[in-house]
Amino acid sequence: MYEAVHAHPDGDATVARHAATAARYGYDGIVVRTRDALPPAGGDAGNEAGEDGEPSGEAAALREAHGVDVVDAVEIDADDATSASGAVGNYRPERTVVCLVGGDDGLNRFAVEEPRVDVLARPMDGPGDFNHVLAKAARDNGVHVEFDLGPLLRASGGKRVRALSDLRKLREIVTYYDAPHVVSANPRSHLELRAPRELVAAAEAVGFDPEWIRGGLRAWESIAARNRERRSEAFIEPGVRRGRYEEDG
Amino acid sequence: MKHLPKHLRPRWRYVAVEIETWPDVDLGRRAFQRALWYAAGNLIGDAGSADADLTLLSFAHDDGVGEAVIKVRHGHVDDARAAITCVSEVDGDPVGIRVRGISGTVRACEERYMGRAGANSTQRDVAFRDAERPAVVREDACDVWAESGYVGAAAFDIE
Repeated sequence: MYEAVHAHPDGDATVARHAATAARYGYDGIVVRTRDALPPAGGDAGNEAGEDGEPSGEAAALREAHGVDVVDAVEIDADDATSASGAVGNYRPERTVVCLVGGDDGLNRFAVEEPRVDVLARPMDGPGDFNHVLAKAARDNGVHVEFDLGPLLRASGGKRVRALSDLRKLREIVTYYDAPHVVSANPRSHLELRAPRELVAAAEAVGFDPEWIRGGLRAWESIAARNRERRSEAFIEPGVRRGRYEEDG
Repeated sequence: MKHLPKHLRPRWRYVAVEIETWPDVDLGRRAFQRALWYAAGNLIGDAGSADADLTLLSFAHDDGVGEAVIKVRHGHVDDARAAITCVSEVDGDPVGIRVRGISGTVRACEERYMGRAGANSTQRDVAFRDAERPAVVREDACDVWAESGYVGAAAFDIE
């Protein structure tokens, strides 16, 4: 199971501290949403980076040190669909996981209709809303809808009530149309990180199915694996990959 | 009052919990207990809180790490775990919290899960993000004081 974290400078803990804590809590890996926190995998920016799709030097060293996978990602927080579209085009070739922050009807709509986006993050934030049209589009384009458990863990009072009722609405729509989903607590420091079993218990208390939550935590892993395979040099297109010829001829 | 016959006594589970805070936070037992009951009241309601109990049996916190044993009524451990997860801050200070394990007796709980807060922390200056900064170092963890507050780093960042 993976957790998608906000690392320093966006959050209050570095990638290494997140990785160390996640390893202790029993996660298999972390997805680093903050662009400045981790060099891209196989990117042109760092000369220490490996081949296309291979983790960068820092990510590989952290994996070696703590035994958790560290995935480079980006969270695009744009004002409108036009600038979001430009940002997706820029970051898709260099990042393993591309998340787009929703929370606005136009952005939600753009994200679910764009197959290059992996995750629509926090769709119910602010004035954002979700409906059956978006759910069908998300299913058809393979865009994962994020369920943000942050308010469940850290908010209180009316804010939390609203967030939970939004989560319930989102859950009913997404499960009906069988759209792909991811689950995250959006931790901004190692103190906000919670172990997978704890997240499942808290979500179960507000009506989520435990296995469904675990599926949402595992989905980060499958997104990362799929995109790494696509970015590897052997990959030509789905179903076609460069390999060795058969010897006998 | 005469104590209850054994078959009528409530059965308990003892939850061992690990606590982490920033190093300058002074976390008290009463404050933590209040936060715990408050979280339970908000998540599972008065009825659920009464069922789960969630009384602190032992509590220790020093230098940003701590541990506690929480008494939970048998059969309500899942609710208790959910409530414990929702403790995100105590008196405005953020806390990291994690369940280490659950036992049927206090003794087993302490023997198995407690007393791991080993290494002492030291205060020294470290090189972090191209500057010398004061930090509290504890084993692999390293809380660095940056301009406006602590940043959680690890040994990996300050090498």
